[in-house]
Amino acid sequence: MSDTAATLTQDRQKLEMAALSAPAVVFTVAMIAFPVVYTIWLGFQTFSSTGKQSFAGLANYSKLISDVEFWHGLWITIALFVLSLALQLVFGVWLALVLFHAKRLPGIVRSLFISPFMMPPVVAGMMWLVILDPSLGAANYILQSFGLPPSDWLASPTWVIPTVALIDSWQWTPYVALIVLGGLQSLPPSVYEAAQIDGASPFKTFHRITLPLLLPTIVTAAILRSVDLLRFFDIIYITTQGGPGNASNTLNIYGFRVGFEFFNIGYASALMLTLTAIVFGAVLAFNRLRGAVAW
Amino acid sequence: MTDAANTDRWIRRLNLVQLVLAGAIIMAPTVWMVLSSFKPSFEVTAYPPTLVFTPTLENYVELTRTTPFLSYALNSLIVTVGSTALGLMFGIPAAFAVSWTRISWPAILTLAARMAPGTLFLLPWYVMFRQVGMIGSYTALILSHAVITLPIVIWVLLPSFDGIPRSVFEAAQVDGCSVTRILWRIALPLVASGVAVSAILAFVFSWNYFLFALVLSNGDTKTLIAAAFNFIGEGSTQWGALMAAATLIALPPLVLAALVQRWLVSGLTLGAVKG
Repeated sequence: MSDTAATLTQDRQKLEMAALSAPAVVFTVAMIAFPVVYTIWLGFQTFSSTGKQSFAGLANYSKLISDVEFWHGLWITIALFVLSLALQLVFGVWLALVLFHAKRLPGIVRSLFISPFMMPPVVAGMMWLVILDPSLGAANYILQSFGLPPSDWLASPTWVIPTVALIDSWQWTPYVALIVLGGLQSLPPSVYEAAQIDGASPFKTFHRITLPLLLPTIVTAAILRSVDLLRFFDIIYITTQGGPGNASNTLNIYGFRVGFEFFNIGYASALMLTLTAIVFGAVLAFNRLRGAVAW
Repeated sequence: MTDAANTDRWIRRLNLVQLVLAGAIIMAPTVWMVLSSFKPSFEVTAYPPTLVFTPTLENYVELTRTTPFLSYALNSLIVTVGSTALGLMFGIPAAFAVSWTRISWPAILTLAARMAPGTLFLLPWYVMFRQVGMIGSYTALILSHAVITLPIVIWVLLPSFDGIPRSVFEAAQVDGCSVTRILWRIALPLVASGVAVSAILAFVFSWNYFLFALVLSNGDTKTLIAAAFNFIGEGSTQWGALMAAATLIALPPLVLAALVQRWLVSGLTLGAVKG
């Protein structure tokens, strides 16, 4: 084969490869990239009550800074994020260790453990709505039969965020556990053997050897959960719609309501772009952390 | 020596207790939902709650009688199957090209799209789809849900394609096979199980997705998930029917997930963890 013929086949191959990715790329540009640019533009517009649209400069963003509801939403979003992530990482690592020491896991047990996060969050919200009903729910009955005071759960402005965190943690702790279990199974067994020979206690082995080696996996799980937690929507929208009052009005819920209940598309765009920046900022920060703990 | 064996046995017992405890906490709410859906209506709201009752199908009958449950289910099926098919159609060749060329930006582009909050796209989609009169159409719903399915297909399939030895492709190239032919005739059969897992995961996440259908569907095209509100609204005390609806909505993803549970975890982390 001559040189020109070889380049020709190579060029042809490049073209064929481009043609293979083209549908996915064109689809993503049409459905994501272009709409996001459009959202950025919408963020500089105001819409009058008659639907007339005009350029507003940075008005939507200066409104955001003075909007009490935005700062409240940001606080709720961060509180829910920190609380849920802490619960899911702590119990996820615990559950992973329990599963790891069980050695043999029948398929049925695995199916059981993945069932919470494979069902729609909306369904999780529906079932917990019934279980946590303040007057007739099973949860308060159980509390009272142990002599504990009943709670208003989702109907209480104080408890609604911890309750939502609890529901989400019920759903996603097994997911974190299975990721961490994968990390545990890929650790070289030789490190444990060495620790055992040195006579290290199980606690010391975990604290000094297992945990540091697991950190990259745990940070990965944290990244995957953070993306969902910072844009929390489904469970809150189906159970409280941001209530009672505005006690569970996360940024995503607030942005959605500004856009589709009050039809203030311009301001909603500014809100959602801000939330998107927060999500990507968190992912980048965690990614650097993962780089720092990698071995 | 017997001392060590004794401690060992105790540790194993303690571990089993913890495993059973975790299993019970994970299972209890789902079991309660299913039980409640089979309770006679007067017993669903009984306080103290009852565990022993005569099971009945009245809640399911009530659900199909008072709500268009079956047409919602059909809408869900159309949108989910459509978006899964679209995700596979676009995702399989893209994953193959990324794996072959090592040019990864198309894959990263779709992943970034999955990380942004859905409302970010929903706002411009709403404005654009309204302008062309597509709000409430299956097309708008399928296109929006394909945004969910496409990155799943690409990222689940990438490691599968990466796992095929390069020599297989090189041999085919020497034989004069075009790239497209290599994909469909040689590579695809080798990653068939990966395709199945990606299709099931795409189906599950598209079925479960709430936000887009909430805005882009109308009375005729409403999916089950978007209609969940109606079930809650139509009877704050109709818990039986509500739990029957919840059980039926959760059934397809749970059955599918159980089928591929062994391969699920590595797929769910979108390649971040080798599990």
